[in-house]
Amino acid sequence: MKTKFNIEKFESQGISLKNLEIFIGEVIEEEDWEPMGPYPFPSATDLRDWDFKILKRYKPFYAPYDDTCSLCTLGKCDLTGNKKGACGIDLKATQGRIVLLACVVGTSAHVAHARHLYHDIVKRYGKDLPIDLGSEIEVEAPLTRLITGIRPKTVGDFEPVLEYIEEQLVQMADALHTGQEGSYLDFESKALHVGMLDSLGKEVADILQIVAFNFPKGDSDVHLVEMGIGTMSPERPTILVIGHNVPPALDIADYLIENGLEDKVDIAGICCTSLDITRYYPNAKIVAALSHQIKAIRSGLADVIVVDEQCIRADILEQARRVRAPLIATMDKALHGLKDRTNDDVDKIVEDLVSGKVDGVAILDSEKIGEVAVKVALKVHESRKDVKSLPSDEELKELVNKCIHCNRCTLACPQNLKISEANRIAKTGDLSKLRELYESCISCLRCEQVCPVNIPINDVIMKAAMPLIRNEKGKVRAGRGPIKDTEIRNVGAPIVLGTIPGIIAAIGCDNNPRGAKDVWLLVKEFLDRRFIVTVSGCAAINLGLYKDEDGETLYEKYPGEFDAGGLVNVGSCVANAHIHGAAIKVASIFARRKLRGNYDEIADYILNRVGACGVAWGAYSQKAASIATGFNRLGVPAVVGPHGVKYRRAYLGRRDREEDWTLYNARDGSEVRVEPAPEHLLVAAETIEEAIPLVAKLCMRPNDTPQGRQIKLTHYLDLSMKYLKKYPEDWYLFVRNEADLPLARKEELLKRLEDDYGWKIDWKTKRILEGPIRKVDPSFDPTNLERLIRK
Amino acid sequence: METPYDIGNIPGPKMARVVTPEEFVKQFKKAKKPLLIVGSEISQEELRKRVEKLIDLGITTVATGGSIRYFVEDGYDEKVEVAVLHELTNMLLDENWKGFDGEGNYDFVIFLGITYYLASQMLSALKNFAPHIKTASIERYYHPNADISFKNQFKDEKFFQMVDEIIDKIGEE
Repeated sequence: MKTKFNIEKFESQGISLKNLEIFIGEVIEEEDWEPMGPYPFPSATDLRDWDFKILKRYKPFYAPYDDTCSLCTLGKCDLTGNKKGACGIDLKATQGRIVLLACVVGTSAHVAHARHLYHDIVKRYGKDLPIDLGSEIEVEAPLTRLITGIRPKTVGDFEPVLEYIEEQLVQMADALHTGQEGSYLDFESKALHVGMLDSLGKEVADILQIVAFNFPKGDSDVHLVEMGIGTMSPERPTILVIGHNVPPALDIADYLIENGLEDKVDIAGICCTSLDITRYYPNAKIVAALSHQIKAIRSGLADVIVVDEQCIRADILEQARRVRAPLIATMDKALHGLKDRTNDDVDKIVEDLVSGKVDGVAILDSEKIGEVAVKVALKVHESRKDVKSLPSDEELKELVNKCIHCNRCTLACPQNLKISEANRIAKTGDLSKLRELYESCISCLRCEQVCPVNIPINDVIMKAAMPLIRNEKGKVRAGRGPIKDTEIRNVGAPIVLGTIPGIIAAIGCDNNPRGAKDVWLLVKEFLDRRFIVTVSGCAAINLGLYKDEDGETLYEKYPGEFDAGGLVNVGSCVANAHIHGAAIKVASIFARRKLRGNYDEIADYILNRVGACGVAWGAYSQKAASIATGFNRLGVPAVVGPHGVKYRRAYLGRRDREEDWTLYNARDGSEVRVEPAPEHLLVAAETIEEAIPLVAKLCMRPNDTPQGRQIKLTHYLDLSMKYLKKYPEDWYLFVRNEADLPLARKEELLKRLEDDYGWKIDWKTKRILEGPIRKVDPSFDPTNLERLIRK
Repeated sequence: METPYDIGNIPGPKMARVVTPEEFVKQFKKAKKPLLIVGSEISQEELRKRVEKLIDLGITTVATGGSIRYFVEDGYDEKVEVAVLHELTNMLLDENWKGFDGEGNYDFVIFLGITYYLASQMLSALKNFAPHIKTASIERYYHPNADISFKNQFKDEKFFQMVDEIIDKIGEE
């Protein structure tokens, strides 16, 4: 057990002590790299004041998905209308509790992944493996420095970081128990705390794999990788890797390299494992994002399927069996009922899988996995050539003709796709409507289970879309990992001053209402407008699916630098941490703010100065909840797609409530009413056309200079006109003086301010005399924190 | 009992009463300050033209989900308000919200042409946390989280017929 005492001041009988720290159980070496801030290794209560500040402005908005609670034996309790259950908890607090639960689950996935990598890497390379990200990255682990105060030099330095997260996570999980927390605000504060832990766990995971497996260390010109189901070759044995934990896939690659088989066997991946394996082995292919998992399997092109952890279909064994692809489970948390064969002889395992004696095996030793997977793929490839995965043309006709148009498929479909209508048209021989469903269908298979005439609806859609699938070939730039300190030095000032109008982070799953193209459109729009766009996970994968009028993907068209107009693929979901890291580094490297144990000051800095906005358009899993909540605590707002409201909670500001938009001027402590920037911390949009101007608006910050605000306002107005064909209702709120107005529209906008909002304008000088919420004050040093007031 | 349009979306003991157009209009006429919220599905012209008839009848209407662009094209943009549905629902939860006219909140909110699952969650927020508001869905979907709702309608003709009936009956006044 480790205990720490702090004595700020003690005087007694001639003894005087000041700032004494006593550690029992372990000596923590204090380094001089930076003075320790107030909150190293913060508990939930240490940052509760910060949470309550943001929750006061961005009040939790709850949309229950279930009006009841059934977590204990006193239930089921009806909480409709915010009633209390038998334990005393009301519906609002129940929603906060579920949000916390989602964040705990999501964070556990990332942190357990980090812990697993830690054990694996320590076993392979030892604790002393240096954390060296190259000469251009000095601030190697911004979140670790910020939250724990540790500057990690070796892999072993992450041990206390992981211990800290794990302990906090258990404490927060404990708060979920019946008879613990009862306040929705405290549930939210805990969710924010867990979101922060999530970001920290992700950073540990990604740095570990970068240094251990020699992934790219922030290089902007990383190699391009082939992607798409159309790149899977029926001619070569293919091993399909699915999940998030890359070591098993690495060992498959190593086995191929060591045995000269790179040209004979393909590795193709789904989800984050595909992003991470391509950071190591450029020959690997990214087949698809999460939503195409079933499509990739049912294509029948995978000879062996290897799953690790997270985002794996729960019925993966059944799906693999359907196409006679042997399944190998590699992680203790996702065994899928398979027998553990870790200690068996490799050849015996291979024989059992090839002969079909067993459908799959669990192997928990990654080096053995490489050998088994490759040997099995080579042996089953020929015998699998007769696997018939999709219907023939004739069978397709028969299947669509079977449809009785009962619409049960539509009632079961999470996207409410009009499958029956598409079948009706297909009966005439026109497959176009079925083909259109391909992009929006996430292959959840709920429709197939309810079809009374047993139409394999997913396969019918795939068959109709075969011309699209064959051409589904694109390019993704491999994940580059961290943002370099040198890049931050170049862009820090323009970001804070607003002349680079924003950092957009398009991240997360692809449960998109209208297919992945929505995200492509958004990313392209902001790249063309010289925002910095960072991407990761399934969002990064799907961008590679689409080409512009020149036949290029966005990765081929735009540079990979963290700079205006740069498209930065940081990597897998855990690499998201580098996006947090970039915002933190702006505060640290550009503004020289102290990081160490100083979370609230840095979050306050980011909220008021760094125009960053996350976009999780297809957010689906609990990890997406913890990721977004982690961004929110750090002061970064996020926009989610319409499915995102099923997370039950948003953080919405109210621009009409003047009292919510006040900041301190840290120079003198005066209170300053400011414009609603950013207006929300978490908000959903219904369509991408609605989301694009909203994202532009959420990049405005109180600290913007007139030039910066002018640029940001120009984009907000332009994008509103482009996608909504109208100026937004609230644009005038962001105008502080005439210099904030877009030059090309200055006169028109001044006139609108006068006519529509009653502002006073001096038309001779074209100056605003009266109207704005506040004037531009170059000396304004905005903060929410009393402790930062200098006098 | 009608099946929710998303079949698993059974929120709890309180689910919408299924109404006919006539019953809806009765409820509508009892309202002091109704608000019609429309969303992205009014991109379908046949639906939008019907919404425009409701606007012409003087019903305060707000375009959400980016649907304002269609009203701009049709020359109706000055007759409708614009909002993000999430923001608007948040305002509606506040009994003291001043409304679009500065005169106060609404007492009867009608959903039409909004992506099903988004509308469902917003109706849930209103059901559970806005006792001052009654909600109605005149969508082609049965919305269990509304107070009153149409049944599921898979055929356009029948659905448009129901909306036309509403327009006619409100227009009779």
